[in-house]
Amino acid sequence: MLVNLGIIFVLASLAILAAKKIKYCSIPLLILLGIFLGPNAPQFSWMDLSLIKNSESVELFSRLGVLFLLFYLGLEFSIGQVVQNSKLIVKGGSIFTGLNFFRGLALGWVFFHSWPCALIVAGITTVSSSAIITKLLVETKRTANPETELILGIMVYEDIFMAFFLSILSGYLLSQGSSLLVSVTGGLAALSFIMVVFFLGRRLGIVLDRLLNKPSVEALVVVTFTLLLLSAVLAETLRVSEAVGALLLGLILAETAQVKKLVQMFTPFRDLFGAVFFLSFGMQIDYHHFLTVLDITAWAVILTVAGNLLAGWLSALACGYRGAAAANIACSIVARGEFAIIVAGLAASAGMSGAFQPFAALYVLILALLSPLLMKRSKSLYNFFIRLRKLSRKTKNILTGA
Amino acid sequence: MSGIKEAELPGLGKKYQVELESGESVVVVIYDEGHRELFYFPADKSEPACSFTMTDQEARQIGSIIGGAFYQPRMLEKLEMAIAELRIEWLKVAPDAQVAGKSIGDLGLRKNLGITVIAIIEEDKKGKKKTTAINPGPSFVFTPGQIVVVAGKTGSIEQFQVMATGKGE
Repeated sequence: MLVNLGIIFVLASLAILAAKKIKYCSIPLLILLGIFLGPNAPQFSWMDLSLIKNSESVELFSRLGVLFLLFYLGLEFSIGQVVQNSKLIVKGGSIFTGLNFFRGLALGWVFFHSWPCALIVAGITTVSSSAIITKLLVETKRTANPETELILGIMVYEDIFMAFFLSILSGYLLSQGSSLLVSVTGGLAALSFIMVVFFLGRRLGIVLDRLLNKPSVEALVVVTFTLLLLSAVLAETLRVSEAVGALLLGLILAETAQVKKLVQMFTPFRDLFGAVFFLSFGMQIDYHHFLTVLDITAWAVILTVAGNLLAGWLSALACGYRGAAAANIACSIVARGEFAIIVAGLAASAGMSGAFQPFAALYVLILALLSPLLMKRSKSLYNFFIRLRKLSRKTKNILTGA
Repeated sequence: MSGIKEAELPGLGKKYQVELESGESVVVVIYDEGHRELFYFPADKSEPACSFTMTDQEARQIGSIIGGAFYQPRMLEKLEMAIAELRIEWLKVAPDAQVAGKSIGDLGLRKNLGITVIAIIEEDKKGKKKTTAINPGPSFVFTPGQIVVVAGKTGSIEQFQVMATGKGE
């Protein structure tokens, strides 16, 4: 058992070191390794590439990975930040996320003709990867640019959107049985559960503050981890996804005085178990299935890029950015990552069609390659656009003049 | 100086934009991981012309050089940062100073004078390598040659200046 785990962590370390070398996010690399060295690895007559197996311990680690990823999402979410930039975030974020979500829904409906599937496709394709995009912003030296505030604001909005969307989706999928009515009530029940927890949470936060008042590091880590497991169990018994339980706990603890310490403490856990989650996600994918999802992935990629350029440009205009800055916004928010994978994982655990996992993996990998190119070329794209507009104006003048 | 603009960069850190009199602007980004990046924007440009990254320690050192801790321009005989009533001073402990050999707690600086010692910078004998004690505890002992960074109200800072350097205003 330890041998398998050891190999997994060796691979994860290699992927993360390689990602650091090329200054890129490790998620696509981890998934790739999972696909090509996992149980579904290509087998040649002279050698068997499948180095790692899916064992119970791997599954446990990857489940913990999801819990930590969402716990961290909740923890990092500070209401203060949203209030400070609220106008920008709400305006830009609503336009951008709204347009992207409906584009995803439409795409899903066209391909699957069922609402649950359409929702999952929308979930996979709507929310961008803040991990990849912030890395790219730092690399392209754009962190100080005025438009970066809007880009990061939109990503905060997407995080909030994801929190609500995940809870509704999980309630909807888990209670999905016979009729639409039952599933919709399931979704609404999950949503109201969250609202109740969120409002009770503030009270609970005060109690927790007292409980965790000036604790030792040891107590804080163990108590918080226990709470994380308990909230996952509680959520499961209430027929809401355990991921949502973790997310809610994060949101509640974000209101306590210990939040800074907790973020510091749990970042390593998120990185450690998250790496296993992304690897094991890759391991569940048979790359032969890539062929069957080729058409939907191609359409999703084309529509995501085109839709994001349009949505980004519109929200930039709405927030008062013009010219090259607007082009930068439109070209920046293209990469997809952790949330696409989490939604696909949720769909798989709810017993949905097996096509979503290879689709999400291929989609994330292609966009991971495309997004840096697009971001670095945003200026030439903008210049091209300007030239095109001049040209069209000229031809118009010639035509009307003549 | 027309003011400093401050903006939150969620997930990255914080951004401070300083407009210079010349119309150019300097942007400091403080990342959550601790390092700083400095950007230079020429007047009326929305893209930075150049930038560089510093570690936390380098940034503090460069910051104190810019602040005048090591060399004060002749124009400003005394370095002074007045924010309302608050003053922050960099003082070198004189060899025959009152405070030499005594600890922060012995002198009761906070209790008696309302003065907070922010940091103590020590040089070694060659005057090269520096160690910095940020927010030193009450048992920290002053020795001649140290540079003490203190914050407090103008009156009490002057009193402490006499104790540390033997010189008044």
